[in-house]
Amino acid sequence: MKNKMNISLDEVGTELPFKVPENYFEQLALQIETQITPQHVAMTKLMKPWMYMAAMFVGVLILAQVFYTVYNNNVKKSDRYESYVLSQVDESSLMDYYVNEPSK
Amino acid sequence: MNQKDLDLQNQLSQPKLRTSAFTILVREYQERLYWHIRKMVLTHDDANDVLQNTFLKAWNGLDGFRGESQLSTWLYKIATNETLTFLANKRIRSINSIDDLEDIMLQNLQADTYFNGNELQLRLQKAILTLPEKQRLVFNMKYFDDLTYDQMEQILGTTAGALKASYHHAVKKIEHFFENEDN
Repeated sequence: MKNKMNISLDEVGTELPFKVPENYFEQLALQIETQITPQHVAMTKLMKPWMYMAAMFVGVLILAQVFYTVYNNNVKKSDRYESYVLSQVDESSLMDYYVNEPSK
Repeated sequence: MNQKDLDLQNQLSQPKLRTSAFTILVREYQERLYWHIRKMVLTHDDANDVLQNTFLKAWNGLDGFRGESQLSTWLYKIATNETLTFLANKRIRSINSIDDLEDIMLQNLQADTYFNGNELQLRLQKAILTLPEKQRLVFNMKYFDDLTYDQMEQILGTTAGALKASYHHAVKKIEHFFENEDN
């Protein structure tokens, strides 16, 4: 059987059945204050874009240096190879080669 | 508008004084707005979220406040809009749930550490949750805060006559709920 409980608004009253955490309003005010106050921007944050630029520049310089060195080494190696081959051929063979060079 | 609010409004219009004046405004209105919101969203966490959004909206909208209405009315309007938006979003999120939003809110209220109501107070909250949102607003503002219909008219933008009728209907519905609810 269902029990009906007749109550009126007067019996309930107008007191709110809620509470808030301790110091809630004090903390909320401080929190809002922090959110609306212009923040001091740290020096590192300001410098960041310039630091990225500098790092990129250094990177490009290092890459250029590496390519330059590799290229130079290759040129020197081919020069040395040519001198070595020529040193292994005697003068008469060289003359024969130029005299009997097949026409293209 | 009282002198205190006039001074505050004057300070808020000056860029150099704006931040400190807004801090005073927060301290002045935070409790009233909190309870206005809490009565609608019921749990502390939700009330806290909506209240913070309310103050941030007010801060960002300071340039739009020309002083045509009282500072308190303007803030109550923002808080009311934020609350209704919050509830609408919550309703959308609960669309796939078996329970409807009001059942979820009631369950959350009972689980909320910061609810300390007795059985009668819980039943009143259940009864209030059966009302449409706008009528809940009207009932809460009149029953708990005892605002005048004129004050409510300025905040809700509905005529005092319509608000009066809405409140009386709400009371009838709640009494009917009490009479017919299974104990």
